[in-house]
Amino acid sequence: MNGGRIWAIVEKEWLDMRKNKMVVIMMALLPVLMVGLILGSTFFMQRAPEEELNLNTGSQPFSLPPELAALGAKDGFIALMNDQYMFYLLLIPMALPVYVAAYSIIGEKETRSLEPLLATPISTAELLVGKTIAAVTPAVILAWFSFALVAAGMAFIASPAVFAQLVRPVWTLGMLLLSPLFALLSTSCGVIASSRLNDPRAAQQVTAIFVVPVIGASIAVLAGKIFLNVQVLLWTTAVVALVNLGVLWVAVRLFQRETILTRWK
Amino acid sequence: MIRTEDLTKRFNGTLAVDDLTLEVRQGEVFGFLGPNGAGKTTTVRVLAALIAPTAGRAWVNGYRVGREDDAVRASVGILTETPGLYPRLDAEQNLRLFAKLYGVDDVGSQVKKYLTMLGLWERRDEPVGGFSKGMRQKLAIARALLHEPPVLFLDEPTAALDPEAARVVRDFIEELSGQGRTIFICTHNLDEADRLCDRIGVIKQRLIRVDAPEALRRGLYGQSVLIQLQEVTPTLVAAVEALPFVKSVAQVDGCLRVALDDPEAQNPAVVRALVEAGGAVQFVEKEEHSLEQVYFDLMGGS
Repeated sequence: MNGGRIWAIVEKEWLDMRKNKMVVIMMALLPVLMVGLILGSTFFMQRAPEEELNLNTGSQPFSLPPELAALGAKDGFIALMNDQYMFYLLLIPMALPVYVAAYSIIGEKETRSLEPLLATPISTAELLVGKTIAAVTPAVILAWFSFALVAAGMAFIASPAVFAQLVRPVWTLGMLLLSPLFALLSTSCGVIASSRLNDPRAAQQVTAIFVVPVIGASIAVLAGKIFLNVQVLLWTTAVVALVNLGVLWVAVRLFQRETILTRWK
Repeated sequence: MIRTEDLTKRFNGTLAVDDLTLEVRQGEVFGFLGPNGAGKTTTVRVLAALIAPTAGRAWVNGYRVGREDDAVRASVGILTETPGLYPRLDAEQNLRLFAKLYGVDDVGSQVKKYLTMLGLWERRDEPVGGFSKGMRQKLAIARALLHEPPVLFLDEPTAALDPEAARVVRDFIEELSGQGRTIFICTHNLDEADRLCDRIGVIKQRLIRVDAPEALRRGLYGQSVLIQLQEVTPTLVAAVEALPFVKSVAQVDGCLRVALDDPEAQNPAVVRALVEAGGAVQFVEKEEHSLEQVYFDLMGGS
């Protein structure tokens, strides 16, 4: 592995990304919407009367998980909603790199630039590592930055109990560990899809498959089936890391120079 | 500098290059002619270590293709069929990327050297997407030269260029050929091959013939002169045929086509024989065969 060549690819990808308004807009839009949604809804919920947020009434009463019940009906409900939102924040590192990965590889197909690139002494691994770093890094930084913004905003608009729930170790660790893994997973899927497909949109849709388990987990938390703690998080991280290894192995095997050069039309 | 032995490439059973044995010498400009699908681009891709041969062996700049691919890639420059530039990046950014990938020591000065040499320095900070086809082709040639490779592969260097741009590119290739580089050109442009190449290989999966353009012509047609007469009669034909050094005589469009070994020395005797037999000689000219004619005759016979 030659670091200089990998860095040259990373620089090129970032330069190209900066000049592609569509990619920049798509990358900025999701975090802005997520942060706005989380802070906005918390702001209004925090200022709503207690009885409006007390769902433990009516014919089908909703009871908070025991870990949140101690916060009271209103703060407990807001904390539960924030747990949901944190799952959506985790979708940022999953959704963003696929735009970059799909464009960066399918874009090479469109401009027919892969052949001169592969004619240089760069290895397939160096090329894929360069493209992966270029796609993963901004997505992870944006995810961390979004979490930091949400946490900073919560310090001002949420009650101390709600804020403490948000910045508890499970989410801080979750953002630190799962964001890069989700971003890597998404990028590898983008590489796999791009190696076989000609349309960046189709490549992006393939990654949507991995959104389903995250949404599923968020529903399970909302339904009170799971309460996230550090132990659950570490197990999840280990599973995602294993899935990553498998997907990465497939991506490298599918990205064959000869196949790509002779079959990409 | 480039050597292949029984080089063969198949794609899922389809034969692309068959048993190619070839040697291209250092400093030589070698033209590779053949119809679409003849295996020209596949040969270049194998020699540039982009794809692996199915059978046979090849060496480029002393490095074995398939075993020392990194060294092969580092010692060749390649102009692919399409320029394959990054349209959103400017000319300088495009070249800087490749200079770094090739491990060029002084990236800045090498990029400047080739942008200046190809007349693109003033437009170095413009996105390549706005360049004309000719400018893109020149930039792609500059990219292939950044690391000063001793071997240069040019796949259809003037295809799809207007005559003016094609001329600029051709002139640049001529300039490069004087620098001791080995240049391997795949082309459909027969005039270009005739002008630029020291030797030409004609391929249709198998190598049909390799020689210098002039030797190819001589090998196929020998040397002949066309003699225009006021009237061609059997007596005149017989008079020429009677000369011992004449290889053949044919009547073509009111002229006699006379095949000779050494036209400059033998023409006076031919004219004298015709005049003595009562012929009125109007013009005598050396018959020229275009490389196009050579190519089609070789293809027809393959």
